[in-house]
Amino acid sequence: MSDMTYTSGGEPPLRFPKTVLFKVGGATFGMVDALLEFLRVLRGTIRFSIWGKRPKGEVLNQMYQVGNRSLLFVCVTLGCLGMVLVYQILLQVNRITGDTSQVGAEFIKGMVHAFVPSLTAMMIATRVGAGIAAEIGSMMVTEQVDALRMCGVEPIEYLIAPRFIATLTMTVILTVIALAVAVGAGSLMAWGSFGVNPAVFLSFDKVTPGDMITGITKAVVFGAAIPVVSGYCGLTTRGGSEGVGSATTRAVINSSLAVIVLDFILSALAYFFLQSKGL
Amino acid sequence: MIRLKGVHKRWDRPVLDGLDLHLERGVVWGLIGPAASGKSVLLKTVCGLEKPTSGEVWVDGQEISGMDEREMMKVRRKFGMLFQNNALFDFMDVGQNVAFPLVRAGGVDPEEIEERVASRLKAVGLSGSERKMPNELSGGMRKRVGIARATIASPPIVVYDEPTAGLDPVTTSKIYDLLRAIQDQSHATVMAVSSDINALRTFVGRIAMIYQGRIIYDGLESELDGCQDPVVHQFIRGELEGPL
Repeated sequence: MSDMTYTSGGEPPLRFPKTVLFKVGGATFGMVDALLEFLRVLRGTIRFSIWGKRPKGEVLNQMYQVGNRSLLFVCVTLGCLGMVLVYQILLQVNRITGDTSQVGAEFIKGMVHAFVPSLTAMMIATRVGAGIAAEIGSMMVTEQVDALRMCGVEPIEYLIAPRFIATLTMTVILTVIALAVAVGAGSLMAWGSFGVNPAVFLSFDKVTPGDMITGITKAVVFGAAIPVVSGYCGLTTRGGSEGVGSATTRAVINSSLAVIVLDFILSALAYFFLQSKGL
Repeated sequence: MIRLKGVHKRWDRPVLDGLDLHLERGVVWGLIGPAASGKSVLLKTVCGLEKPTSGEVWVDGQEISGMDEREMMKVRRKFGMLFQNNALFDFMDVGQNVAFPLVRAGGVDPEEIEERVASRLKAVGLSGSERKMPNELSGGMRKRVGIARATIASPPIVVYDEPTAGLDPVTTSKIYDLLRAIQDQSHATVMAVSSDINALRTFVGRIAMIYQGRIIYDGLESELDGCQDPVVHQFIRGELEGPL
């Protein structure tokens, strides 16, 4: 057998495909393992958020970290985006019809239904997601997570569940604030650049209950996804400071990706279950 | 008290390779070995922080290798562990760190916890340090806080992973004096890993050497010098020439 497989002068000829097969197989098993571990973190987070014991004041502390410290960042971003969007829309509308009376109503509808929940969540994913992964990741590499386990603490209960409750709550609150800021900034831009009366611009006539349900559902789901994805990245940190950096990067990328994919799924579900029924 | 039967642990290479071990209750057992020979992995496998790839791990009559995390939490209450890098919680002060195992175990009054923390900190020479944060402490002080946290709940099994790593010789002697004093009171089963062989030998009654994932020597500390194994011989004498 060895005569068939190996030649005298160097690498065995059958080794390359075998190596490739091992690598593909190993990567597949690795992905399945990662998915199972992620589902374990997700299940544990939901379970411990409902029934778990939390350190006193930890949820409030995390709400401060997530909410208060993201407020300026989210408001500036959404305010600027609101102004840019309104400016571009009005520019195009002025070129085509010149009737700007419906721009505000349509802008607000789009903001409530789609843009504000996803953009706010993207901002939270970059700031909060990175923070969660870095914090838990550095605890992993300094064995603090092992020390928690030795003291009879389930790390998901102690570290992820309070962040989950805080991020979920604060994402909804920040989304509402961001909506007000984006609409307000857009209204100012419309008034300042194109002379659209704020009383005309700030029309909520086109916002349906379905839009509000969709917007709030998105904020809740995004707020739930970000800490779970980031917490999972933190808990799977390996190595030293390089591993923490890698976990932080993965947390930002995966949380943002989760927001985009979930946005697509929720928008499709909203279309089939709400908009098609006139809501 | 602790028994390992044919324990294998494998990541990209074998770390523990069919390891067998039996520790009686109350034994003070030391483990030495070259870097990356599996010392810390062995300790973590006994504590259930790592699951073996195959083999059995018995702790106090219970086979733990197949247990889930919830069952393991009950088993881990029997352990106190000092980690290699101390693993003090950097978001808690010294008092909260030391009190943590008691707080999590429940059933102890806050006043009693406070008293026991003060008493334990006094025992390790850190009276009045309750409100200090871990980053305000020196390496030796952090070690002592780690020892206080590992032993405050009086666990029947105590695991010390490199209790004197990075410490100067005087502090090392003080730490081992402290470990001996704690052991004289608690009579716990002790597993200690250290690269400082001479200091470790002053503390343990039984010593083992791990090499390439296998225990190649396990016997009385006093008989270690007479061991004829060339790897053990070279390692304990720190010779350059030899199989290592």
